[in-house]
Amino acid sequence: MLTARRRMTARRRMTTVAAAILGGSLLVSACGGSGGGGSSDAKTLKLWHYEGPDSAMGVAWNEAIKEFEAKHPGVKVKFEEKGFEQIQKTAPMILNSSDVPDIMEYNKGNATAGALAKQGLLTDLTAEATKRGWDKKLSAGVRTTSMYDTNGVMGSGKWYGVPNYAEYTMVFYNKDLFKKYGIAEPKTFDELTAAMDKFVAKGVTPLANAGAEYMAQQYLYQLALSKADRSWVDKYELYKGKTDFHDAAWTYAADTFADWLKKGYISKKSTSTKAEDAGVSWIQGKAPILFSGSWWYGRFQTEAKFDWDSALWPGSNLTLGSGGNIWVVPKNAKNKDLAYDFIDITMSKKIQNLLGNKGGIPVAADTSAITDPKSKQLIDNFNTLSGRDGLAFYPDWPVNGFYDVLVSETQKLMTGSEKPDAYLSALQQAYDKGAPTK
Amino acid sequence: MTTALRRYPVLIALCIAALFMVVPFLIVAVNAVKSPTEYSQNGPLSLPEGLYLDGLKSFWQRVDFGQKLVNSVLISGSVAVLAAILSVLNAYAIGIGRIKGRTWVLAFFVLANMLPQEALVYPIYYLSKQVGLYDTRLSVIIVFTVIQAAFGTYLLSSVLGQFPREIIEAARIDGADKWQVLWRIVVPVSRPTIGVLLVFFFIWTWNEFLLPLVMLISNDNQTVSVALGVLQGQRLMDATMTNAAALLGVLPAIVFFLVFQRTLTRGIAVGAVK
Repeated sequence: MLTARRRMTARRRMTTVAAAILGGSLLVSACGGSGGGGSSDAKTLKLWHYEGPDSAMGVAWNEAIKEFEAKHPGVKVKFEEKGFEQIQKTAPMILNSSDVPDIMEYNKGNATAGALAKQGLLTDLTAEATKRGWDKKLSAGVRTTSMYDTNGVMGSGKWYGVPNYAEYTMVFYNKDLFKKYGIAEPKTFDELTAAMDKFVAKGVTPLANAGAEYMAQQYLYQLALSKADRSWVDKYELYKGKTDFHDAAWTYAADTFADWLKKGYISKKSTSTKAEDAGVSWIQGKAPILFSGSWWYGRFQTEAKFDWDSALWPGSNLTLGSGGNIWVVPKNAKNKDLAYDFIDITMSKKIQNLLGNKGGIPVAADTSAITDPKSKQLIDNFNTLSGRDGLAFYPDWPVNGFYDVLVSETQKLMTGSEKPDAYLSALQQAYDKGAPTK
Repeated sequence: MTTALRRYPVLIALCIAALFMVVPFLIVAVNAVKSPTEYSQNGPLSLPEGLYLDGLKSFWQRVDFGQKLVNSVLISGSVAVLAAILSVLNAYAIGIGRIKGRTWVLAFFVLANMLPQEALVYPIYYLSKQVGLYDTRLSVIIVFTVIQAAFGTYLLSSVLGQFPREIIEAARIDGADKWQVLWRIVVPVSRPTIGVLLVFFFIWTWNEFLLPLVMLISNDNQTVSVALGVLQGQRLMDATMTNAAALLGVLPAIVFFLVFQRTLTRGIAVGAVK
């Protein structure tokens, strides 16, 4: 008994000592290892981006890093993969400190890159863009998101970013399902509605949709775009004039969308689903038609086990899309010249072609060098769109926080708790509150 | 027989509750070993057709998970130990020393505890930049030591407030000074409670996301929970790899819990006897 107790106390003392040593050593190593961060010299290029290593951009940029190191002997690229969320949340704080990267990928748009440019946290790239010819390589629609004025509004002013790729929305058709129900793939808008009628008659919901995320609002915006022109888009996105949500285009969009719900083209059950659910339901062959962006393309190429096709939205010159995320050079970056060289390499034909062959949409590629047939179709459709100046950006861009308004209001429209007219009034109110007045 | 009959409903209720706790974890585990194609074809609830470990492997390599584990253990371990020490010192003054205005001090600690972390982000960022601790693990350790110690002080103070006075008086008569009373009497007697605090502090700090996300910029300094965020893309998510990552992320915390669960149950039981 006595010995047992003594052993107990001995053990206790041991654990106390162990805990103290552990605590102490943890603290010491915590202090020791903290010096890392900010040291940069002309020998390293600190690069951050948030694209997955298997995505088209990830592959192409990896190659660009190799080429950069080959062209700059003695310079090492210190690449760190970041999360989208982390960059999105913390960029203003990081860029205001001395621990900045020399070059990083950043989300384009007024609320993101525009806001940073306005706060003076980004380097003006205008001189480099003209000197190195980036301005000539990018088409007008793609260029819009590279330039920001003193208020952080995109479309004019100075160059603050350079996109390597573009994105746009399209209709994805499951050809096997069309064949199974004996329906021809639609070429015009009337054929599209006729095809959807037939699917509904067979008990199939034709359109995959996600009310809790961006998809539903993109259907609506696309419907409005089919009745709109470039000056309408400029008014809405670039504040060049007054936007009236009760005009012909928006009214048509809201009425048609409500009508489609009534007719069963879109399921009411999709009110609270996520984009991932809609995409998966299309991959599983449950929904014959999906309208969404080129960001799905690579995944569909590997995961869809049926014959499929993609096409631009029938009967509309304009569709959603823009230049992709942009390379920005922080104001406090230490090796700006190396950063410019890196951007230049990513704009070269070689890297652009690689990006295209991996399922991305290059902005300055040689179309003849794209060998994969599906990738070729994707890029051809983009070139058609870009040739007719058809990139109309995204509905949530003009106003900070408009995305959440669009999601919740569109959900109300879907459940029928709000009529199209009230829906448009709600959007008008939120837009007017947030848009800058000129 | 009758007691057994009476026990069954309780047992069934417990089983159902346990099921609810375990199911999310099971879903994570099942999807972690599926290939992306399998996930897209059969959905999240289907059983995997084979063991697909590429998701786990490639996630480990992609974020250099070993380094993240070291960082998380370092940060959580230091915070747990330091916050526990700080809580004991505070609680000794408040609970046993009965300093003046202790109700107000305690109220202040509770208030500090209720502050949302979002409100702390900018001040902490600014201050740490001023003293040159931005993007260091030490900054996160200091911040969380204070945050966790606020809760620890609150809890321990009420525990020590009930501390039997006779023991302390006996020690005083034997000639122990305040310091000796603390380390020889109070700490050994409240060891179970302190053990529980250590475990909780460790697990809470392990799961922290927002402040490490803001404070630890370099990948070399990041913690496990921040590393999981790398997989959340702008528009797409890689469901199977996210599950694999989640599995890797919670495993250490579970292992830690299992190792220390005796301490935990002892600590809770001690409270129950009183």
